Amino acid sequence: MIATASAPAPSPAPPARRGRRRTGGAGRTAAQVCAWLYALMLLLPLYYLLVSSFKTNAQIFSSPLSPPTSLSFEKFASAVSDARLDLAILNSLIVTVSSLIVVLVLALPASYALARADGRAAAVIERAFSLGFLIPTFAALVPTFLLAAQLDLFHTRTFLILFMPATSLPLAVVLLTQFMRTVPLEVEEAARMDGAGSLTILIRVYLPMVVPGIATVGILSFLTYWNEYLYSLVLIGPDRAQRTIQVAVPTLRSPLETDFGILAAGTVVTLLPVYVAYAFLQRRMEGAMIGSAVKI
Amino acid sequence: MATTTIPGAPASHDLPGDAKEPRTRTQRAPRTTVMAVPALIWYAVFMIGPIGAIFVISVLSWPGMLARVGFAGLGNYRAVLSDPLFWSAVENSAIQLAVAVPVMIVGAFMLGYHISTRPRGHQVLRVIVFTPALISASAKAMIFYGLFAPRGMINHLLSAVGLDGLTHTWLADTSTAFACIIVIDIWAGIGYTATLYAARLSAVPESVYEAAELDGAGHWRRMWGIAFPMVKDYVGVTVMLQFLWTLFTSAQNVLLLTQGGPGNASTNLSFLVYQKAFLQSDLGYSQAAGVLLFVFGLIGMLAIRRVFRQSY
Repeated sequence: MIATASAPAPSPAPPARRGRRRTGGAGRTAAQVCAWLYALMLLLPLYYLLVSSFKTNAQIFSSPLSPPTSLSFEKFASAVSDARLDLAILNSLIVTVSSLIVVLVLALPASYALARADGRAAAVIERAFSLGFLIPTFAALVPTFLLAAQLDLFHTRTFLILFMPATSLPLAVVLLTQFMRTVPLEVEEAARMDGAGSLTILIRVYLPMVVPGIATVGILSFLTYWNEYLYSLVLIGPDRAQRTIQVAVPTLRSPLETDFGILAAGTVVTLLPVYVAYAFLQRRMEGAMIGSAVKI
Repeated sequence: MATTTIPGAPASHDLPGDAKEPRTRTQRAPRTTVMAVPALIWYAVFMIGPIGAIFVISVLSWPGMLARVGFAGLGNYRAVLSDPLFWSAVENSAIQLAVAVPVMIVGAFMLGYHISTRPRGHQVLRVIVFTPALISASAKAMIFYGLFAPRGMINHLLSAVGLDGLTHTWLADTSTAFACIIVIDIWAGIGYTATLYAARLSAVPESVYEAAELDGAGHWRRMWGIAFPMVKDYVGVTVMLQFLWTLFTSAQNVLLLTQGGPGNASTNLSFLVYQKAFLQSDLGYSQAAGVLLFVFGLIGMLAIRRVFRQSY
């Protein structure tokens, strides 16, 4: 992993610089048709979800694709009160924001240390983190559940806040280490001459220079934490006061007769924060997702 | 490592003159490695520890959260390997991987290549194709719960075009339940993977294609003959990723949509691990199956690595 010391900062793919469009042809036309068919297959379910959230079951069943006749937010209100989505959103926010803070507090000093150390210990630690990419989180579900019980933190948000940052530490540490390596040594040396300690140097010198890396880690972690389902379900359980929105929304189904309008409205609520973030941070979000997969 | 250096100590204590080399090392290697320790502890406690514990639990007899724990030796493995349910779960996982991963990768590569050639409307296309990467597992499952519902959109559209014979109670029908799970994998997987390929392919120099174009190579040959070999090892990485995700994370879709049913028609390996632990409280069995799942994952990964590195 020392070999990556000279690797450039993990920026998203270089910008395309095509001079002119490539010539057409039957193959290309076919590809264009297929691409848009797939795009339609992606959009149609989302459209169906959105219009359903304004309709009754009868309307959904008889004309699934027609636009809603009224834009009343009644289904959203029912979803919120039926599954206490208000509490669930708050819980999700608490879990997401707290976990984000924990992961940054852990990963920033670690990646600074790994970027600047040249000993064997540091190389081994970095290797250990980069191997963490290959550990599927799901594998450890049962032992993690037992650990939560052991720590007496079972059925609490607290354990999830402690646990989830660990799952994104490998990515955060490896990504931030590469960003930290791009900071010129001279800057640090100058600060050290002035008698600054490592922590001061990290906060004053490095933090401002690795903001893009922090943003990338932040975006990826936000997505992971907000969207997490299985661990939240198992570790927090059904308690309305603690459960996250991803766990709350599926409870809107009923074995007798599901109100699909209410279910759709609840689902829209879980998607909103992510899509709002995407609307503002489109390029950055895509870059982060692409960069994270490239690093593996 | 220059372990003798003291953090922050001025280097001027060194002997003057020939001390230039140790001096730079002193400055370049302050003892900061210790700052990695908290992260390392966290990682060990919450990730490495639990992974190791899978192996330990798999040799224990643990018939419920509050039950007494005993030693089972290889008993759990014997129980797992002689259980027809385990083998049907293996079969389901194998089918799922054999269908979902190739369809996803080939589809995503063709789509990613197409986007990288910047066709008309490629910017809009790019945004649409990226959308599934943002949707959580539970939201995805709820969307498809609505689509596959007996009176949901899919059955409605089938009837509308006169294909009433093809309508199903998709999620409750033995013949279609597991196929629905696979469809969801593919639906979301193509888009995200295509985004990755499009980004990677946009780094291929235009001149490479121009030469081929002069030789009369069409879309198909440019895609598979030129673009594919250039990013082959990257494709290998994404195959590995999708293989692991499909193998391990599909427990959530199964749990949310079919609970492994009807019967055990949609029980795959990762759901079996979940089901045995949390619905049937047999932790030993669950973790023995978990170890086998882990081993399958490892073997698959090594095999994929080999296939995609072969030509190098």
